[in-house]
Amino acid sequence: MSYAFDWGVLWRYREALLGGLGLTLALSLLGLAGAMAVGLVAGAAGAGERRLPRLLAAGYVELARNVPLLVHMYFWYFGLTALRLPAFWCGVLGLSIYSGAYVAEIVRAGIQSVPAGQRAAALASGLSQWQVLRLVIYPQALRIVAPSLAGLFSQLIKDSSLASVISVAELTFVAGEIEGDTFRAFEAYIGVTVLYLIIVTTITQIALRTFRGGIVDPEMRY
Amino acid sequence: MDASVVARNLPYLADGFALTLEMAALSILGGTVVGVAVGLARAGHMPLLRHAAAFYIELIRGTPLLVVLLVVYLAVPALTGQRLGPVPSAVIGFIVFVAAYIGEDVRSGIASVHIGQIEAGLASGLSRARVMRLIVLPQAIRRMIPALFSQFVRLLKFTSVASVIGATDLTGAVLAVNAREVKPLELLAFLALAYFVACYSLSLLGRWLNRRFAIAS
Repeated sequence: MSYAFDWGVLWRYREALLGGLGLTLALSLLGLAGAMAVGLVAGAAGAGERRLPRLLAAGYVELARNVPLLVHMYFWYFGLTALRLPAFWCGVLGLSIYSGAYVAEIVRAGIQSVPAGQRAAALASGLSQWQVLRLVIYPQALRIVAPSLAGLFSQLIKDSSLASVISVAELTFVAGEIEGDTFRAFEAYIGVTVLYLIIVTTITQIALRTFRGGIVDPEMRY
Repeated sequence: MDASVVARNLPYLADGFALTLEMAALSILGGTVVGVAVGLARAGHMPLLRHAAAFYIELIRGTPLLVVLLVVYLAVPALTGQRLGPVPSAVIGFIVFVAAYIGEDVRSGIASVHIGQIEAGLASGLSRARVMRLIVLPQAIRRMIPALFSQFVRLLKFTSVASVIGATDLTGAVLAVNAREVKPLELLAFLALAYFVACYSLSLLGRWLNRRFAIAS
């Protein structure tokens, strides 16, 4: 085994790698925003008392998270070709709908962890339903679920690598390009592994310091 | 909608589904064996093994699955000059990937057993290995059922990524059929349904096992 390493290839492709890193972060941040939007609604419906919204929310959660993310992305990318969505937005939609199911479960658990007596007391003291949610339930629930949401974000960063399959030029895709140009498969893929590792570890450490509690892996929940 | 495209290609799609299930079963088996070993090393009292296990867990948990597969399929062969086929590469990648997550679950399962029980076991003259085998693991494994099964379900979903490196698993088969027939909506609906049935069944099995063996904490 005599392999001449050429790590300089990563420096020569620094601009492409930085661009890929930017797209990876953009995909993950927009995916997180979308997942939060979907998940807050579905989570509130899932924790609510009305039967129909609860069933709909449960149906969405089970359907979205029992289908692979790759299939979600293909659905938007070439299932709905009539929409002619750019690949980047197909990636964002796929990530949002898939991860939204996990956010919904996290939010539902958060809402249910606020003791029922608080809701009753707030209603009895004259607050409206919406005020109870906004002033009493959400502030406490969101604080409880914050560490889980941070865990979900690092999950999203890793998951966003699948957008390379639908030709979004994010980090993993750039590694493929470097390999195609230079045949430096080892340097390219180990290089992006280190980049992912740095981003994910940084986010996890920041979250750990901020919330002190353990990060709950969102995949851990049924 | 034209569901006949699925019927026409059913034998081919069924082969793909069989490969998906086969890869999932092999990876679940291999991943659990390696994962338990990693978890024991991580929770054990040998510093070198403990640090090595911790490094492995952090490394893999910070890396996307697709990148792990590409490293096994493309990067390592660039070094050694010997390339495995897509399916063996994918299975190795899945095992390496899921073992890190299972290792962490095993570690926290072991940590969930009260230290007093371990001290009592040691004080009554049992060896460390026996305390682990007779007292700690039976409780830890029962507590780990939900976490383990959510890893299994995740792995079953993630086998779809093997299609990216060229395996004709269920996803690869659907892509191949679509390239010929161009019926993306029908084929993707079938694909989603097949994964849903497989994953949901596996998670129901996990819930049932958990109810059956759970310990009240």
